[in-house]
Amino acid sequence: MSYDVSESELLASGHVACPGCGAPMAVRYALKALGENTVLIVVASCWSIIAGPFPYTAAQVPLLHTLFATGGSVASGVKAGLEARGLQDTTVLTLAGDGGTFDIGIQALSAAVERNEDFIYMCYDNEAYMNTGIQRSSATPWGAWTTTTPVKHPKDQPKKDMVAIMAAHRIPYTATATIAYPEDLIRKVQKAKSIRGSKFLHVLAPCPSGWKSEPSQSVLLSRLAVESCIFPLYEVEHGEEYRITVWPKARVPVQKYLRLQGRFAHLRDEDIGRIQENVDDEWQKLVTRSDRAKAPGNVDQAF
Amino acid sequence: MTYQISFRNEGEMPDLPVSSGTTLYNTTGTWRYVRPVYRNKTSPCNVACPAGEDIAQYLGLVAKGKYQEARLRILEENPFPGVCGRVCPHPCESECNRAELGGSISIHMVERFLADLAGGAPVQRLPSNAPAGATVAIVGSGPAGLSCAYQLARRGYPVTVFEAWDDLGGTMRLGIPAYRLPRHVLDAEIAAIARLGVEMCTGRRLGDNLSTADLRAFSAVFLAVGQQKSRALEVAGEDAQGVVAGLDFLRRVNLGMPVEVGARVAVVGGGNTAMDAARAALRLGAQTVTVLYRRSRYEMPAIAEEVQEAQDEGICFEFLTTPVRVLTEDGAIRGLQCVRMQLGAPDGTGRRRPEPLAGSEYTLNVDVLIPALGQEADLAFLEHWAGGGLAQTLSMANGLLETDAAAQSSQTGIFVGGDSATGFGTVAHAVGSGKRAALAIDRYLHGEDLNGFPALDQHVHAAPRDLDPAVVRFADLNLAYFEELPRPEPKQRPAIERKRDFAEVTDGLDEQQVQQEAHRCFSCGTCNGCDTCWLYCPDVSISRVDHSDYQVNYDYCKGCGICAQECPRRAIVMEEELKWKK
Ligand SMILES: Cc1cc2nc3c(=O)[nH]c(=O)nc-3n(C[C@H](O)[C@H](O)[C@H](O)COP(=O)(O)OP(=O)(O)OC[C@H]3O[C@@H](n4cnc5c(N)ncnc54)[C@H](O)[C@@H]3O)c2cc1C
Ligand code: SF4
Ligand code: SF4
Ligand code: SF4
Repeated sequence: MSYDVSESELLASGHVACPGCGAPMAVRYALKALGENTVLIVVASCWSIIAGPFPYTAAQVPLLHTLFATGGSVASGVKAGLEARGLQDTTVLTLAGDGGTFDIGIQALSAAVERNEDFIYMCYDNEAYMNTGIQRSSATPWGAWTTTTPVKHPKDQPKKDMVAIMAAHRIPYTATATIAYPEDLIRKVQKAKSIRGSKFLHVLAPCPSGWKSEPSQSVLLSRLAVESCIFPLYEVEHGEEYRITVWPKARVPVQKYLRLQGRFAHLRDEDIGRIQENVDDEWQKLVTRSDRAKAPGNVDQAF
Repeated sequence: MTYQISFRNEGEMPDLPVSSGTTLYNTTGTWRYVRPVYRNKTSPCNVACPAGEDIAQYLGLVAKGKYQEARLRILEENPFPGVCGRVCPHPCESECNRAELGGSISIHMVERFLADLAGGAPVQRLPSNAPAGATVAIVGSGPAGLSCAYQLARRGYPVTVFEAWDDLGGTMRLGIPAYRLPRHVLDAEIAAIARLGVEMCTGRRLGDNLSTADLRAFSAVFLAVGQQKSRALEVAGEDAQGVVAGLDFLRRVNLGMPVEVGARVAVVGGGNTAMDAARAALRLGAQTVTVLYRRSRYEMPAIAEEVQEAQDEGICFEFLTTPVRVLTEDGAIRGLQCVRMQLGAPDGTGRRRPEPLAGSEYTLNVDVLIPALGQEADLAFLEHWAGGGLAQTLSMANGLLETDAAAQSSQTGIFVGGDSATGFGTVAHAVGSGKRAALAIDRYLHGEDLNGFPALDQHVHAAPRDLDPAVVRFADLNLAYFEELPRPEPKQRPAIERKRDFAEVTDGLDEQQVQQEAHRCFSCGTCNGCDTCWLYCPDVSISRVDHSDYQVNYDYCKGCGICAQECPRRAIVMEEELKWKK
């Protein structure tokens, strides 16, 4: 066994992510895919901290810190500036959390991709405003505890379907990825790099502090999210062509994923049953919509 | 090297807040309260191998295409990979974790493949360690004796092996037939031992033309005389002509002496000797060969594969039956009177005791009867033992020579092993036993203490690797990294063809299949350079060179434990930082 992953290391140790955080992993892989000729735009998020305080940086490429709502607009401007300087080949990668993407940044993001600006927007989704103290976002899944959706009133709305929103913009490339599948993530970033126009990557990144999970289990959780079909790995081209890129080896019940996380500890069996039903439905829809040619026989069965 | 940046005054600061250094200034290792430590653990196959082979490691070498290195690694522990790759009942495979995901690794077939490689480098001698003038005598040239001779000769000892017969190899040669163990394989492995300078004295039987006084001339003695006596049938007429004990029958066959089998052969017994005698008789032209066993197939001690092969070749089995009298005519056998049995209450071994069924006697026409009820140690030489300048005779335990964990007999300087002392009854056990004796003799001749040898049912290593003794079981593995893959089965010559001659029955695996096995191996507990830990470390704190020499940079590792959790084969442990601070 060995991985098809570049040796280049553009993320430095010493960054201040919590132990077991998925966010630096996502960026490490993205930078392996993109190489040095990259500019990072970091929207206010955990990564604003992770990157380290002035005068230090964890990323070995130019990194621009910016405001919550500006991921799409700053990237557009930076790209225009690079092009004005003749630096057509430099990739602009916006890095934003779920808050800066699903909630606060959606207007600028929608506008930028509607203009089909040439940049990659990577949302590392840890499903709440984590570094400000675990407040719910529109990416927080139904039933989850956060400090603003306490156990007595856990979140009562489903997670916003951001990929569908981006696909609806008919941008050239939209994809999901997660840290347990670095080769898939890297391939998608490379593919995004090779396409001109707007690309959106939705990366699930476990957060041990906010998920109340074991730091050592971040990769495990990321894998279970995929194997349980809670977070399927797929890509969408031009808003039309859906393709599942990683089929679950064997579908696992959502319970396995949920029960490892303290933020779901209060869920009753019937709540989990409801989540399972919903996941089954969504998975079926995705399978129906996607190119089924590569579907192995055993993954369609529901629980 | 310092990564710290300090501005002495405002003027030194940039106009815009631009970074000028990396976060390497920030040694996040101080956050850690547990630390990952690379520590290879023990695989269940390694524990189970009686010859002490480091299976997990050599399969890893095979996977990398390093066949000669893998072969030499086996040879550190066992000079008989060609033999064991063929005849060992492979207890390692019974314990293999792969059994749960497609079938256990065909370990013996990889071992056989490596042993059969052409042009292998000769086994390496070790730097000579023998005290001046020390010499060792070994009685018996079976796998125990030769394994001991081999390990001592590699360490520079002058070793003399005394063997009663004219041929070397013990039961490997006198018992196991050539269709299971081709003689060129055995010959080559014995020749390699002789090439180390071991003096082989054949035709010397202890108690006969070799005396205990002769042995006194050596600084240490290893007795490994095996079990050469067939257990008697204990029925009337068993000394008739045409009744020949299983071991004697096989010895004659294997030494190429003339043997009459007649048309109808009956073999009594359910062990390997019975299977070998039956299949050999068939190959010598017997028309019908019937194996009589007093319990059911389920209780047969023979290796299951061998029973199947015998059945495929047309050997008949009659279970739950036992002979009560040999019918004779003019001193020669003419038939066998048997009685049917039924299984009663469990006996001391946990197996149900067979009891005769009243009135069920019947007669079988038989030309040759081969009782193969098991073997015992022939320790007749002990009668002359005390006279040979030795004060007392050796102590016995359960019909075998008494031994302790360091292979010592009841007399200082006399070591014992193999079937005549342990009674374990496989070549691999004998190899392990001989090695144990060699290591003990080496220590004894240096005047060192002989405590600390593992118990007899645990295995010794001549070249142990630094391994945590914790055994990695199936449930310990990270199954996300493994898929179900089938075990390749070797080809066998068709029964109709193979039962006519003594040529080898089972083919080896080809290189591609061997690669498949090496890659199917989980490498339980042993890092095989898969890079998983390196890839997932969120803190970029793991370095490595060319898939080896993995190192954690403790300056930055936060102790999240992802590497240990994800390692597919559990080669990383998390340890409390406090323990390391001390
Ligand atoms: C028919 C048969 C089939 C078997 N098949 C298998 C198998 O498939 N796989 C497996 O793992 N094991 C098998 N075994 C068991 C295996 O052969 C023995 O466990 C193993 O050979 C024991 O090794 P040893 O060195 O202790 O004794 P042995 O191999 O028996 O060697 C003892 C040697 O000592 C010599 N000797 C005895 N007395 C004296 C004396 N007084 N003076 C000098 N020399 C003496 C003998 O001639 C012999 O050469 C089989 C055994 C038999 C009988
Ligand atoms: S999978 Fe490999 S290391 Fe593990 S028990 Fe089997 S042979 Fe040994
Ligand atoms: S993850 Fe792979 S490379 Fe790392 S210790 Fe385990 S086996 Fe070795
Ligand atoms: S994955 Fe990295 S940070 Fe986590 S314990 Fe292992 S070496 Fe340390």
